[in-house]
Amino acid sequence: MTYYLTTLAVYAGVDMIACLALSLQFGTSGIVNFSFIVFQAAGAYTAAVLSLPPDTANGGFQQYILGLEAPFPLPWIGGAVVGGLLALPVGLVVLRRLRSDYQAIAMLVLTVIANTVITNARPFLNGAAGLSLVPAPLAAQLDTGAVGYQYLYVAITAACVVLVFLIAQRIVDSPYGRTLRAMREHEVAAGALGKHVVALKMTIFVVGGVIAGLSGAILVGFIGLWAPATWLYPETIVLFAALIVGGRGNNVGAILGAVLVPIGFFEATRFIPPFGPPGLIPALEWVAIGSLIIGFLWWRPAGVLPEPRHVFPPTSPLGTIPARGRR
Amino acid sequence: MDLYVAALGFALVSASVIAIAAVGFTMQFGITNLINLAYGVVMITSAYVAYALNQLGVTIWAGLAAGAVCGAVLSYLLNRFLYAPFQRKGTSHIGMVIISLAASLMLTNVVLAIVGPTSVSYTQDPGPTIRIGAMVLTTVQVLIIGIAVLLMLVIHALLTLTRLGKAMRATAANPSLARSCGIPTGRVIDGVWLVTGALCGLAGTVAAMNSDSFAVSNGAGYLITILAAAVLGGAGQPYGAMLGAVLIGVMTELSAAAISPEYKEVVAFGVLVLVMVLRPQGLLAKVGALAPAG
Repeated sequence: MTYYLTTLAVYAGVDMIACLALSLQFGTSGIVNFSFIVFQAAGAYTAAVLSLPPDTANGGFQQYILGLEAPFPLPWIGGAVVGGLLALPVGLVVLRRLRSDYQAIAMLVLTVIANTVITNARPFLNGAAGLSLVPAPLAAQLDTGAVGYQYLYVAITAACVVLVFLIAQRIVDSPYGRTLRAMREHEVAAGALGKHVVALKMTIFVVGGVIAGLSGAILVGFIGLWAPATWLYPETIVLFAALIVGGRGNNVGAILGAVLVPIGFFEATRFIPPFGPPGLIPALEWVAIGSLIIGFLWWRPAGVLPEPRHVFPPTSPLGTIPARGRR
Repeated sequence: MDLYVAALGFALVSASVIAIAAVGFTMQFGITNLINLAYGVVMITSAYVAYALNQLGVTIWAGLAAGAVCGAVLSYLLNRFLYAPFQRKGTSHIGMVIISLAASLMLTNVVLAIVGPTSVSYTQDPGPTIRIGAMVLTTVQVLIIGIAVLLMLVIHALLTLTRLGKAMRATAANPSLARSCGIPTGRVIDGVWLVTGALCGLAGTVAAMNSDSFAVSNGAGYLITILAAAVLGGAGQPYGAMLGAVLIGVMTELSAAAISPEYKEVVAFGVLVLVMVLRPQGLLAKVGALAPAG
């Protein structure tokens, strides 16, 4: 039972971090990043190959690059860095000239293709079988099977959630966040006021990529394996569903959505007694995720916790500049 | 060398399949201004309807007609009960993309729940082999090429000669002006979904006839190839989609002969990225019957 709860807690943390990153991109900036899961996967693969021993170990049953056996914080930092670096070329291709719906389909197609390439190119990251036996962080120093280690992992994950939440909150409240919202509402007008919209989009795309990479690194350190089947494009749709339900552009809404949709929803269905042929229940779960998106967009497009209205107090008659306020 | 000539033969068949699908897809986009990401799934669903009839002993050619009807009805219903209400509400382009992706996910899984994940194939007689130089094609494949050429001519005639086709072009160019001129744009758009849906169903069935076997998971691959062909030709342009289909068909089949068939979709994706970087408006931006959307 403890293991079930700690596993759930780590999954929830990872989903919260991912939802916060996607909320910065989709909610605050209006970038429909359908390739989000690719950045999470990049972080997970990087963290895995940084912490794994060289691929001749374990009888050489899997093939992969690097295998550096780097000590703990390095694989996570590496995952975050690679997530951000990957965002650069993708952003430069997709975000510069294309209309927003073209951007979305380009990124959707990118997810499918990246998955195909990784699945078929075995020497790179072990192809369809994926990487397994990824050492948990601090595996050499601590007993990773102990209950205490589980709690430690939950604590580290929680610390990361708090850190990412504070960063996201800081971005949303800053003048930069205000510019992002202006760009989301009216890109041409923001451009006409001298805002460099491509630079704005690129920055938030890279920031989102870094956070996505970190979330992948945390996840792979906990579950110890990562394969192409774990990052198919519908996984991104689940995160979108979480944001649409929770409330896009609202960081608390992103947290709530992460708890309600990926965690609450999929865990609740675990307790439904199995019926029908195998594969029926997962299929129905996806149908339900689709109807959640459509239902919320129809009846409550702003989500459970809508984005707060950012209203600023009027300048005082004496001309002094009031403290920067919110709401 | 013969390998490449043979590949060119397969390329003609591929191009025919892609052309049928891409023309329907691009007309939906050009006239209703909506990127219908559920297109690949509707193709697969139609292929399965044809399969169900085929299993009952009906010939695959009757199944082809049933596939077309299934595609038309399904696309009409999708628009009538999902897309059109959201568009009337004023949902943004990007909101519509998310909705169509959600619709695609739902339909995929409904079909998956009914037919299961395993691959199936039609019971069909491929007919005597036809050789033209080093090209070796089955009679069915030659007939697929014939069907595609015929359909392209029909689409051309529809858009240029009939009242419905002219109304479609008017609606694509400027919906409110078309309405002011007395064109019932609502009924025209219903017509668009029926016609393009029939193309989608036909494309799904011929794609399945042309491959050894098919499964629900093939839908995503179809969609990528169609997107590449439509965007290469210029999104919303039926003649552009025909040109794009030929180019994509030739490139993917030649690459399959040169490298490996597993990377067909990767080649299509490479073309898509190059077009998006170098010429996002597509090859035929200024030519063609339908104005580019937005």
